[in-house]
Amino acid sequence: MNEKIKLALVEIVGEENYTDSLIDMVSFSYDASEHSHRPTCAVWAETADQVSEILKLSNREKIPVIPRGAGTGLSGMAVPIEGGIILDLTRMNSIVKIRIEDRLAIVQPGVVYIDLEKALSPFGFFFPPDPASGKVSTLGGNVASNAGGLKGAKYGTTRDYVLGLQVVLPDGRIMKTGSKAMKSVSGYDLTRLFVGSEGTLGVVTEITLKINPKPTATSTALATFDSLENAGGAINQIMHSGIIPSALEILGRETLAAINQNTDLNLPEVDAMLLAETDGYTREETDYQIEKVIQNFKENNAKEVKQAKTDKEVEDLWAARKSAYAVLARIKTHFVLEDVTVPMTNIAKLLKGVEEISKRHDIQIATFGHAGDGNLHPQILYDGYDPEQVRRMEEASADIFKLAIDLDGTLTGEHGIGLAKAPYMTLEHDPVAMDVMRHIKKMFDPNNILNPGKMGLEAAPGIG
Amino acid sequence: MESKYEFEKKYREQILKCSRCGFCQAVCPVYGATLRPALNARGKMLLLKEVMDGKIELNDELIETLFQCTTCANCFQNCPSGVEVPEIIKVVRKDMVKVGSCHPTFEGMNEVLKKHTNIYAEDEPEDFERERNKQAEHVYFIGCVGSYREDEATMATLDLLDRLEVNYTLIDEVCCSGVLEDVGYQINENLAKINIDLILKTGAKTVITGCPYCSRTFNNKSQYARIKEKGIKTIHITQFLQDFDFNVKTDKRVTYHDPCDLGRHCGIYEEPRNTIRKIAPNFVEMPDNRENALCCGAGGGVRGGYAKNSIAMARRRLEQAEEVGAEIVLTECNSCTHNLANAKLRKQKFKIYNTTEFINELMEEAE
Repeated sequence: MNEKIKLALVEIVGEENYTDSLIDMVSFSYDASEHSHRPTCAVWAETADQVSEILKLSNREKIPVIPRGAGTGLSGMAVPIEGGIILDLTRMNSIVKIRIEDRLAIVQPGVVYIDLEKALSPFGFFFPPDPASGKVSTLGGNVASNAGGLKGAKYGTTRDYVLGLQVVLPDGRIMKTGSKAMKSVSGYDLTRLFVGSEGTLGVVTEITLKINPKPTATSTALATFDSLENAGGAINQIMHSGIIPSALEILGRETLAAINQNTDLNLPEVDAMLLAETDGYTREETDYQIEKVIQNFKENNAKEVKQAKTDKEVEDLWAARKSAYAVLARIKTHFVLEDVTVPMTNIAKLLKGVEEISKRHDIQIATFGHAGDGNLHPQILYDGYDPEQVRRMEEASADIFKLAIDLDGTLTGEHGIGLAKAPYMTLEHDPVAMDVMRHIKKMFDPNNILNPGKMGLEAAPGIG
Repeated sequence: MESKYEFEKKYREQILKCSRCGFCQAVCPVYGATLRPALNARGKMLLLKEVMDGKIELNDELIETLFQCTTCANCFQNCPSGVEVPEIIKVVRKDMVKVGSCHPTFEGMNEVLKKHTNIYAEDEPEDFERERNKQAEHVYFIGCVGSYREDEATMATLDLLDRLEVNYTLIDEVCCSGVLEDVGYQINENLAKINIDLILKTGAKTVITGCPYCSRTFNNKSQYARIKEKGIKTIHITQFLQDFDFNVKTDKRVTYHDPCDLGRHCGIYEEPRNTIRKIAPNFVEMPDNRENALCCGAGGGVRGGYAKNSIAMARRRLEQAEEVGAEIVLTECNSCTHNLANAKLRKQKFKIYNTTEFINELMEEAE
């Protein structure tokens, strides 16, 4: 970083909050994806005013700024692909206010998901999205990527809970969006525009979140299926039944086999296993719901159906599901975790298609995911040091995206576009939509300093 | 081509299995105290990956992170990919020393142990008013921190052993030097020989250590294999005490801090709790306990090399003691006791003890 800019940054954040040392530059080059690139320097901001000063400086000097939370993103969203300044927001980590009567919490972007969960728990409340990385990921990152999680089927994603934001725009102006009221149709919905915008439009410095009372009872059941069609049928029928499970997860054959190889859970190695949870306030209520789900399993030729009777059984079942990512991560040196999402009626077709893609490209793909909201996680396992395998991985990825779009789906349900899916944006969005997005970006960030290179926004003819 | 670095030869596959999920960030004590990702386990694994990829070299620029790990193993405990970070760190520190990039504190420690019998270079050992090198059933091996920094706790522990009529002896012990293995060097064979010879001379059947780290060293390191070969068992004092009845009780609210060396590294969680429950019916757990316990910040040389961050880690642990309203914080490691006591704020009214010291105090009061 040139000396003049370095001095200006140190002036804003203080010596102890500026770094360009090698160890920091290496660690800020990565997130949880396969992408990496070195930044030029990094700063830790502690106030919105500091963020504003940093952006004014960068905008004037035309230096990229990459806002960053915990760096747990899976799409390369926080990777400084064009260098520049990493703006680490993890030290803005206060829970500003919890207002139970108003059902909202006001937080800074660096608050870790689970810390809000812990703060809400004594009141019997929670912030539902429940991302798998919630022990680590920050709420600012959750907002930037519109994070989802296991409970998406019933509770939706981050977007459904953000009432308002404080955002610093690339020119340094500080803007408030939304309202502390539960509903508002006052003007354009700027809040929603920023949720999921991947740090390309502004830097979120405060978040007002809607919170929910936390259900106190749950029931859990599993079913195995000899064919994907039957599992798909069961999912469809559950959707018809009027019951909305708080979680409805699917594990494919490859995933079940991998879990069995690495644990002593002894799962049946079938085409698909479905795992359902219902929640409520009494066991009668949740059992009633789970019985309906079980009935749907049975009517779709489930091979084995089981309701977990003890806490231990429940724990074991969820441990099996939650171990999927980990056991798959150990199989090969590299993996890509996709998050294509389709309408629920197409889940079985998506699973079947992924299996075919795996065979066609001779590459291992294990699939699991959230059947309840149509969001699947095909995890492609490969050796990143073998160029041939890398090529096959890339081809398989592309085919999975095409398949999802053909099935009325989307490239990403909860991880975001980032770098990983940027080349496929035009597959999903028509030229008009791409044009509108590029204009929005241009309007907020005419110098393209905020998180450049992401979301495929730059390939536009005529806008530069 | 074979790598020039031991860490790569031994751990290449493991380092590549780090999926960069960052879950270690939730538990890494150094990250927790600094919020600096380069100091987290993931940050360290990324650097080593870049070294293996030939993008950077092992050199002085990496000291600040590679020598700033307490080896508490909480990352390994929570790693979906099962990466054994503390073991990797120990090996890469040796590589760092080989290329001449060592942390000056540890270089100093290695030199000190060439000339002195303990890490503090103290030449006048405390005699604890007891005859040494006797024939006895048990050897009580104190360890450096207990001998030179927490000597009051050690005196109380010895008083307790006397009250319980344990047939033990002290020896003219020297540093077990196990810590050198963690900070880039090797166990000092001369020191090991002195300890082993002295232990064998006593005719003891058991070595009871006051320090969980010494216990691990005697049990696991080849330089100390002779102890085991002679049929002598090494245990930590918490394992020894679990069968005793003390016939004293406190109604104070007591909590327990799991030392990493006893807990995550040896799986000893219940023995100290069994003992504490006997004397403290009003026992309460901190939110993070057993395999999830937060590190006190002292281990892996961090207290010596990065004192400020080490204290910050201890403060985070003590916040949990405060949160559960503990009046007494017990632990089983002099190093933990020392660091936690140094970090305690004036407003924090609880007292911090080694379990043995606390039991001895209760028995003294009862007399």
